[in-house]
Amino acid sequence: MASHNMLRKYFGQLETSLRNKLETKITARRRFVYEIARIGSRIFNDDWSIGWTTVFVPYEILNSMGVSGMFVEFFGAMLAGSGMSSKYLEISESKGFSTDSCSYHRTIIGAAMDGLLPKPDVLIGASIPCNGGVKALKRIGEIFNKKVFILNIPIEVTPKSVDYLTEQFEQMIEYVENETGRKLDYDKLKKSIRYNNQAREYLVEVNDLCKNIPSPANSNDLKNFIIFLLLQGTKESVEVAKLYRDEFKFRVDNKISGLPEEKYRLMWIQNRIQFKTDLLNILEEKYGASIVIDELNHIWWEPMDEDDPLRSLASRIITHPLVGPVDRRLEVITQLAQDYKISGAVNPAHWGCRQSAGARVLFKDALQKIGIPLIHLDVDCVDERNYAPGQIMTRMEAFLEMLSN
Amino acid sequence: MAIGGGYGFLDGVIFVNSCDAMRRLHDVWKRYVPTKFIHILDIPMGNLSLGSKYFETEFLKLKGALEKHTSSPIKEEDIKNAIDIYNKSRLMFNQLNSLRMEDNPLITAGSLMRITSDFFKVEPEVWNEKIKQLIEEKKSEPSKAEQNKNPRILLSGSPLHEIEFIKFIEEIGLNVVYEDLCTGSKFFDLNVKASNNLISSLSEAYLTRTPCARMMQIEERANQIIKNSEKFKVNGVIHHSLKFCDTYLYDVPKLKEILVESGLSVLFIESDGGLGNINQIRTRIEAFSEMIKN
Repeated sequence: MASHNMLRKYFGQLETSLRNKLETKITARRRFVYEIARIGSRIFNDDWSIGWTTVFVPYEILNSMGVSGMFVEFFGAMLAGSGMSSKYLEISESKGFSTDSCSYHRTIIGAAMDGLLPKPDVLIGASIPCNGGVKALKRIGEIFNKKVFILNIPIEVTPKSVDYLTEQFEQMIEYVENETGRKLDYDKLKKSIRYNNQAREYLVEVNDLCKNIPSPANSNDLKNFIIFLLLQGTKESVEVAKLYRDEFKFRVDNKISGLPEEKYRLMWIQNRIQFKTDLLNILEEKYGASIVIDELNHIWWEPMDEDDPLRSLASRIITHPLVGPVDRRLEVITQLAQDYKISGAVNPAHWGCRQSAGARVLFKDALQKIGIPLIHLDVDCVDERNYAPGQIMTRMEAFLEMLSN
Repeated sequence: MAIGGGYGFLDGVIFVNSCDAMRRLHDVWKRYVPTKFIHILDIPMGNLSLGSKYFETEFLKLKGALEKHTSSPIKEEDIKNAIDIYNKSRLMFNQLNSLRMEDNPLITAGSLMRITSDFFKVEPEVWNEKIKQLIEEKKSEPSKAEQNKNPRILLSGSPLHEIEFIKFIEEIGLNVVYEDLCTGSKFFDLNVKASNNLISSLSEAYLTRTPCARMMQIEERANQIIKNSEKFKVNGVIHHSLKFCDTYLYDVPKLKEILVESGLSVLFIESDGGLGNINQIRTRIEAFSEMIKN
């Protein structure tokens, strides 16, 4: 049985090693990963309560209550990245969890069963993006004998639906107060909205800079940038975003390409492959193909009002392209394809991802309308046990060959 | 089938945001199946204290959309009549269903599932009349019922539309006496209260009914299964999940644990809802049947 001390050690070592590296050279990516490692270590800091969550919850509120929120899919990805997901997948499968379900969630359920995760003080699951996340959180809650607070994210954007989610945030605050004894620091929340707006401005610039041909970013610079969510509303988030902006601006001003001899500009749909694979390195080095935009890195929300933080946060979540019918998502994908002048799009079509699987034909359809080819890789992004690198590479090669015609 | 025009006879389709797959079905349908009226109804899960009010606004939106589409107002009286008719249907179904509480069930699950299936296809008043006659017939001729001492089963899990699947279980030698399915007995386990705000009554009734797996209330779901298992004197529970049906699949380990702790025998099966790979399932159900007979 694993102990969560293992996790403490992992984040501690990552933090120290990155701190040392940052002393020799500061890069945006390094600073970003360092801040995430610090958030990882924070779950072992008694000054903070622990919150296991699904991905789209208002971390600004949790941070302002002294609760370190962490979405479970992040752990699934992290365990895959460190080569440990197979062990936890086997544990959850041996207890009856279906191999057809999402491996992000199965990994974290297995890790919780094995004692890797410290006991949460609160668990908060949102109905979007998927049912699997909430279900996984429910099962984790049962392991720790803790109840799960569920946020229902309305599928339509209307003033009434924003009211509904805002009221749910108020209930959530009450739930967190009851479970942890911590009160919401309203001034801190206001400040976190201000930080969010500042970081947002930089991130819009960062993304705009990546529209340049060639892009100042390579395929790894903004990999898994969705975890920036965990930093949002902090001073550090502004610093990280500014570093990226400065770095990319410097590269553009000095005609430094993220990938020397960028030939193919690709868009990545949804999450990256999380376990170690040299797929992207080969694509970059051998074919000059680079990921210039990840769908999930799109800044979809408007600046927020610090005098109305709960409503602003509700509005931000409700307007996420993954909420509700797929139309908004298709609009975003199409717009990104045009703005970033991509040559093709890659959808890993993560096995077990119900919320995306049904839309795959619509992704293809939407991109086809503007003459952009899309490839579905059909891989499991977390479970490397069945990964066939040769097969995936052959398909990517054929795809790139097609793009060259 | 829909893309091929198989559902061309429909005047409209109302989807419910019940799960990820259903949300995507709505998207794909909208894109590829020309349909005069398409609507998606959102439904909250888990945290229901604010949900009832929200669900009420969702019903009002649906009402508005239907009124606009048909250019005809839906009057309060129409809603009241519909509630009365459907409440009557549910009451009658439950009377019919109670015939399975007898030691020797007076109606088979196969027949009852056919009746349930008809409910979704025919006018409710016509259905109500038919069921009324059937109840009378059944009550007057109990002696004609085939005698059997087969083990009694509660079938739980994902919605099942394939009646042959239930018949298949019965042919193996089990009496399915309750279907804890959204397409079975559980569907009729609902009563809408009369009030001066009928939309609110509908919202409350549908949200507080016996939960299915997507409602994220596993304890309540398990308790209801245990309660119905006692009421219908079952010997075991078969939990069937459709392939890739996350909401049910994620419940299986915990649900099984709770049910087994309460003293119930549980068999979990997974299939595509049809009769493919049926022989493998047959072997497992036969073994389960042997086990609960002992």
